Amino acid sequence: MHRRITSPENLEAVSRGLAAERDDGRVLMTVCGGPGCQASRCHDVASEIRKQVKDRELEKKIRLRVTGCHGFCEQGPIVLVGPEKIFYCRVKQEDVREILDHAANGGGAVERLLYTDPDTGRTVIHEADVPFYRAQTPDLLLQNRQVDPLSIEDYLAIGGYSALGKILAGMEPEKVIQEVTDSGLRGLGGAGFPTGRKWAACRAAYGEEKYVVCNADEGDPGAFMDRGILEGNPHAVIEGMIIGAWAIGAQEGYIYVRNEYPIAVEHARIAVGQARDYGFLGANILGSGLDFDISITRGAGAFVCGESTALMVSLEGKVGEPRPKDVEPVERGLWNKPTTVNNVETWANIPSIIRKGAGWFAGIGTEKSKGTKILALTGQVRNTGLVEVAFGTTIRTIVEDIGGGGLDGKKIKAVQTGGPSGGCLPESMFDLPVDFDLLQEKGSMVGSGGLVVLDEDACMVDVAKYFLKFLQDESCGKCVPCRIGVSRLLEIVTDITEGRGKPEYLDLLEDLGETVAQTSLCGLGKTAPNPVLSTLKYFRDEYEAHINEKRCPAHICKALIRYVIDPDKCNGCMACLSACPSGAIHGEKKQVHTIDTGMCDKCGICVTVCGRGAISVQ
Amino acid sequence: MSQYITLNIDGSDVSTPKGSSVMEAALRYGICIPHLCYLPTISESGACRICIVENIVDGKPVITSSCTLVAKEGMVIRTNTEKIRRLRRNIAELLVAQAPNSRALQDIAVKCGVKEVRYPFRHDDCVLCGRCVRVCEDLYQARAIGFIGRGSQRYVGFPFDVRPDFCKRCWACVDLCLMKETPCDGPMEIGKEYLCGKCESTIFAGQYDAGDCIRCDMGKGFGCTRHKF
Ligand SMILES: Cc1cc2nc3c(=O)[nH]c(=O)nc-3n(C[C@H](O)[C@H](O)[C@H](O)COP(=O)(O)O)c2cc1C
Ligand code: SF4
Ligand code: SF4
Ligand code: FES
Repeated sequence: MHRRITSPENLEAVSRGLAAERDDGRVLMTVCGGPGCQASRCHDVASEIRKQVKDRELEKKIRLRVTGCHGFCEQGPIVLVGPEKIFYCRVKQEDVREILDHAANGGGAVERLLYTDPDTGRTVIHEADVPFYRAQTPDLLLQNRQVDPLSIEDYLAIGGYSALGKILAGMEPEKVIQEVTDSGLRGLGGAGFPTGRKWAACRAAYGEEKYVVCNADEGDPGAFMDRGILEGNPHAVIEGMIIGAWAIGAQEGYIYVRNEYPIAVEHARIAVGQARDYGFLGANILGSGLDFDISITRGAGAFVCGESTALMVSLEGKVGEPRPKDVEPVERGLWNKPTTVNNVETWANIPSIIRKGAGWFAGIGTEKSKGTKILALTGQVRNTGLVEVAFGTTIRTIVEDIGGGGLDGKKIKAVQTGGPSGGCLPESMFDLPVDFDLLQEKGSMVGSGGLVVLDEDACMVDVAKYFLKFLQDESCGKCVPCRIGVSRLLEIVTDITEGRGKPEYLDLLEDLGETVAQTSLCGLGKTAPNPVLSTLKYFRDEYEAHINEKRCPAHICKALIRYVIDPDKCNGCMACLSACPSGAIHGEKKQVHTIDTGMCDKCGICVTVCGRGAISVQ
Repeated sequence: MSQYITLNIDGSDVSTPKGSSVMEAALRYGICIPHLCYLPTISESGACRICIVENIVDGKPVITSSCTLVAKEGMVIRTNTEKIRRLRRNIAELLVAQAPNSRALQDIAVKCGVKEVRYPFRHDDCVLCGRCVRVCEDLYQARAIGFIGRGSQRYVGFPFDVRPDFCKRCWACVDLCLMKETPCDGPMEIGKEYLCGKCESTIFAGQYDAGDCIRCDMGKGFGCTRHKF
């Protein structure tokens, strides 16, 4: 097996050796193996490269590395070539030969596989010039591109575990906590609680046994930033946790991984095994006397299990249900022992902070939100995927520069940030920077980092209904305001979308929303009214149109729309009549047809079959 | 080491044994905080949220349930601010709309000042307060019933829906159930539910002296409609 590293000096030498080994003059080909690219069959591309390198005896010229997610999932599979990072996208197995020809002979790029900037119509050669990447400030996602998640040696070669070496060579726990506090790092799992303060409280808490926990439950629909890191760079998380254990005085750690993430579980398991072999986990780590080990647990499959108190109950093997936080988990957490729970991304930031210093981290971001945040950009934008931006980047930059604006030239109306219980912000507020406190002030939140772009085709009342439905289904059901209150919010919003709305409902939504937010037991209930309260605040006119005029301005709410045939355009071809599955269309051959609104199911099939564009939605 | 600590509730300094909850401290002192899921000597769960209070931390009010909040030296608590009364009334309204056939819920709704119910009534026969589950587990050590399912699917039941041998048939669960008594006129007809609350529920009687509702002055603070004036 590997040589166990027994001292910080020893570690430095090993890392230097590994870095030199990798600097061997061969051309590096990096294939993104993240979740998005896997779906577009990047592994076929990778195995084809491996096969051809072998068959064509290119081993002396080409080196292949399959990494974690780079972020631009939309354009996968992605292949980067050489130190200058020639950027190939949507690569297929058959393209490999040509790419290899160019790479092996040092001869330029394969033009047809390059990315075309849709604004200029010109191809872009290097990754750094792709608009999607230009406005980003990648740190964690950059590391993702530099390491093979299954190779601890790759991580060591880029300076991995040197932060651990640094603290164990003589940085007191208090000093480590001070450094984290000074960096201004705040929890990236949702609540934005200052990490240094949490650690200090946990260190000060009374007790011999303490725990650190990594929250990788990530249950938000559409989010995969934690997955991206844990799959792509598990050692950063592990190193962060070991540093945390040293600072807090913990002997055991747990990584609680969402059940639907088998690859993340596997990568984390392999990484923990490698870290043990190298002596970064186990007894007497790097000869310092620190004993610490990590176990990996699979989640119970409920969104609410990501809430820190529910997560701990679930780790203890019971049904994951939140408990009141009147006694903080840092005092009485897992098995009633002081426990620090942090999110994957939070842990993964720790090594860089220790390595580069608190000042470096505090230099990025806004006054009270420091560093970077990985966002999952989805919805009606051209470019979707994971993006890592410095706090303080405006929503407009993210949506327009990184996201590339609306799909098919549609106008963007709003963004929904912060996961299912986040809020919607209208286009007029897109100059707001990503910042924990500012977004919260405006009725939304950074949350776990979801960012869904909504365009003019979205009905904001329907959006609120969608998220309320999700939250109602995910509420654990323990406390009254969340279980009953959210179901009432949903009932009222449903009434509005189905044409039964009354003017007084708007005040009721506000009053009830505030009650649920203020009195619920855990964070789920406390944030659950956000979708409805924020849309009510910024898109009140849409609610009013639904209620007062019984009209859905975006033509989404089925109960409030009507399909009609324009008698001037209809020539009685009967296409719609025979296509209508509900038999709602009447008319004789060559006569104007009509739709019986009572029978119409609002499926919209007739619109697609009418050759004369005579059918419209009103 | 002193076994008592002092905290301030609604402007009065209240002395209470270490480790007691804010609610216990208040009740013992003669300040009534309405409550539903709380049972003396039984573990608290913080489920109903009727007992919310403002805990003033660094000058800012933090709303939390008083039955789960452990009293600490120097704490400042407000049990009956305008806001607390409104939020509590809204929670009571949700409860009575959910299960209008419970005399206990009708009672608590009226006590908390609910005057109208703004939602269509539902006809649940359990509001998941968990009194039964906790008395079974904590006091009788039987664990014959528990919560099953999540969210709107959640209900109280036996393991695998069969009464287990270890159920002691003590009926403590039934005794404490909020749904035990209907309003005097009996179960309401579906579609014709109303806010009743004409009389007291016996559910809250006999638990401990300070909590017995004797139409006292204690609930003046939160505007209890049962107090004698
Ligand atoms: C309903 C709910 C779900 C949550 N889900 C997650 C999650 O999936 N991952 C996560 O890291 N934090 C989640 N959180 C936040 C955690 O409770 C906790 O704040 C976080 O793990 C602390 O780590 P941090 O300080 O590093 O952010 C959730 C919170 C709530 C209320
Ligand atoms: S707020 Fe919702 S999820 Fe949290 S404890 Fe209450 S019912 Fe459960
Ligand atoms: S059965 Fe009765 S006591 Fe048990 S949870 Fe339901 S309402 Fe409460
Ligand atoms: S009595 Fe405190 S939450 Fe129910």
